Amino acid sequence: MSTTRHTCPECDSLVRKQNRESVCTQCGLIIAEDNLDRGPEWRSFDDDASDPKRTGAPLTPTRHDRGLSTRIGRSRSTSPRRRRRMARLRQQHRRSQTRTKRERNQRNAFIDIRQHISALSLPKVVHETACKLFRQAQNAELLQGRSIEGFTAACVYAACRMVSISRTKTEVVGHTKATDNEFDAAFKALNRELDIALGPPAPAEFIPRYASQLGLSAATESRAHEFAIDCRERGISNGKNPSGVAAACLYTAALELSDEITQKDAASVADVSPVTVRNTYSALQS
Amino acid sequence: MNRSDRRVISREYFSDDRLAEHHFRSFNNFLMRGMQEVVDEKATIDTDIGDKEGQEPVYVELGDIRILTPRVREADGSEELLYPQEARLRNITYAAPVFMEMSIIRGGEEEPETVVDSTETKVGRMPIMVGSEKCNITGFNDQELIEIGEDPVDPGGYFIVNGSERVLMTSEDLAPNKILAEYDTKYGDEIQVAKTFSQRRGYRALVLCERNRSGLLEVSFPSVSGSVDFITLVRALGLESDEEIVHRVSDDPEIVKFMLENLEEADVQTQEEAIEKLGKRVASGQGKNYQLKRANYVIDRYLLPHLHEDGVEEEDVRINKAFYLCRMAEACFELALKRRESDDKDHYANKRLKVSGDLMKDLFRTALNKLARDVKYQLERANMRNRNLTVNTVVRSDVLTERLEHPIATGNWVGGRSGVSQLVDRTDYMGVLSHLRRLRSPLSRSQPHFEARDLHATQWGRICPSETPEGPNCGLVKNFAQAMELSQNIEDEQSLKRELASMGVEGIPGVNRTTPADD
Repeated sequence: MSTTRHTCPECDSLVRKQNRESVCTQCGLIIAEDNLDRGPEWRSFDDDASDPKRTGAPLTPTRHDRGLSTRIGRSRSTSPRRRRRMARLRQQHRRSQTRTKRERNQRNAFIDIRQHISALSLPKVVHETACKLFRQAQNAELLQGRSIEGFTAACVYAACRMVSISRTKTEVVGHTKATDNEFDAAFKALNRELDIALGPPAPAEFIPRYASQLGLSAATESRAHEFAIDCRERGISNGKNPSGVAAACLYTAALELSDEITQKDAASVADVSPVTVRNTYSALQS
Repeated sequence: MNRSDRRVISREYFSDDRLAEHHFRSFNNFLMRGMQEVVDEKATIDTDIGDKEGQEPVYVELGDIRILTPRVREADGSEELLYPQEARLRNITYAAPVFMEMSIIRGGEEEPETVVDSTETKVGRMPIMVGSEKCNITGFNDQELIEIGEDPVDPGGYFIVNGSERVLMTSEDLAPNKILAEYDTKYGDEIQVAKTFSQRRGYRALVLCERNRSGLLEVSFPSVSGSVDFITLVRALGLESDEEIVHRVSDDPEIVKFMLENLEEADVQTQEEAIEKLGKRVASGQGKNYQLKRANYVIDRYLLPHLHEDGVEEEDVRINKAFYLCRMAEACFELALKRRESDDKDHYANKRLKVSGDLMKDLFRTALNKLARDVKYQLERANMRNRNLTVNTVVRSDVLTERLEHPIATGNWVGGRSGVSQLVDRTDYMGVLSHLRRLRSPLSRSQPHFEARDLHATQWGRICPSETPEGPNCGLVKNFAQAMELSQNIEDEQSLKRELASMGVEGIPGVNRTTPADD
């Protein structure tokens, strides 16, 4: 079924999708027919107590069972005896859900990842990528001898970089239970074994966040973006901490547009020393 | 008053800011006081850490709560103020970050209590009512509103969740904490029942006091299956002597006669015996100590919870519960003797309206409980793996956010109610106004409920006599009258009670001690 065609095979004019058919707007030729009617269902459940749902949520990589779990529900109208029995069943059920240590670790790790994601207010893509990375790491037997906390932090950090919304290492580690060493060990293992080929993050990725933290205007922010591009082209940012470069770009832009910030402020949001900012600043000026 | 003056007043009632005023007042109240009240009720999050030998207990102390105005967190990490129109267009939620002070405290058993970590942390995001105090557009003039894409005549009073405008339906409930006397039939006989929906801090318990066909009084309340003898219960509460019980119910000779019949049938004489008997009912087949413990727990927890109050001693509360039960008994007897008529459930004095703020408070309470459970779990796990306990790593802010947004988005409220939030009717301007001033009765529309649907005389000036839908919802969905004024619960009950005491009211619990014996 060639539902992807955009022109009519007969007259080469535009094809429009109408509910379940792809119809040529010129000659009326029906090119493809989709047997599923994707429109709304015209049934009313308003007066019906039964649950009209027929499917659950879609599969998700963010859960150890991909969201295909069974839960034993609760009801108020059961006898105390039955309720106690259900509680025991629930406990057994919960225990049976994680058969191996690996599964249990994965479950706990995913709970941790969720916590990091919400603490850093990262989007869903990062969440899913981080969970996929963790799964890969586990399959590649990378976790032996390294800490789970380190890995959850490293997965979140790597996922951020993969979708180009980088966070600094300090930011990520600060919101997790991992120590710096655990994080480093885990991230090194990820980078080496999983072949995720992460380039250094572009300084531009940090600019909007730092700009809003420093309370700078939109004009300053866009000027800073220009500086960031300039940095890359002139090779100023090579070998420098991208976060520091971003801070320097913002500082330079702010000076130019007389938004008042100090090197110290810019450095502190970027978690670098004022010297780093100053160096890039003077490089930009030259 | 002449016609033109009346017209001025009438127009004032229909001015922009009056139309959804009940929503604003209620929601602002929730933001300013209600949220902190809910946090203060909870006060601490206890953990199971310290149950094991050689481990110090850990708990979390909840402090002040602070809420900003709505803002949006972009994927690139920047955070900006959010205006309602942007939320509608981008299909995002108009919500403000909520911060709470939390301190993790360890110790108390052998070591002194030490604060392990204490910070103000973001606990979640609260959907904000458009036009309320924490809304970004409050205080804007018409020109400024137009500039950010708002309609200057839009009344506000709704939430924006995932881009759709949602209004919380005001619901009309039976007044809690009030004695309602009515007739009922049991096994073909007519009996008299006094009912009270006792409500305190989101917990609602129905207490029934019925006079059965042999004239005996029985009380039923949650956690006790069936019913308990009235005399047994008041004796368990500390009202022991025959004379006192009769005197507390009524001095009317005919009611005294009824009471004496009850006392003759009583099989317990002292408080201890009564508690023992109650213990056999609530924990039959268990050890005696446990029965006593359970009986005391049930009395303090499930019987008439609204009589509990901060700063009032347990003993006083119990005797107050006994007095309250006596009032219920009196209502039953008076009904039996035709001294009074049964209470009218449709009378507007017996109704209370739950507006958006009250509904949000219910929601916030359960959301906070869920958050607390999550924090407890995270703490226990972090402790088990010998990690440092820090506030930031144990709070997951999406828990609260999810619990607050989901019910508003779907209308499935806590406590199993559905259809609480509805999509704002934007058919036309009048549609919006009418929708914001609509209220709903919780009664099922599939049953007749003729009396509930009828126009009641007490609705005069409060409820519009003509605006109600046709069909199954007729008379169950109502609309406010134009000049309706919604009064609010008082802020501080203690000050009211002190005021009453200074005016000469005696025996108010918590203000002056009750002296049951000497009158």
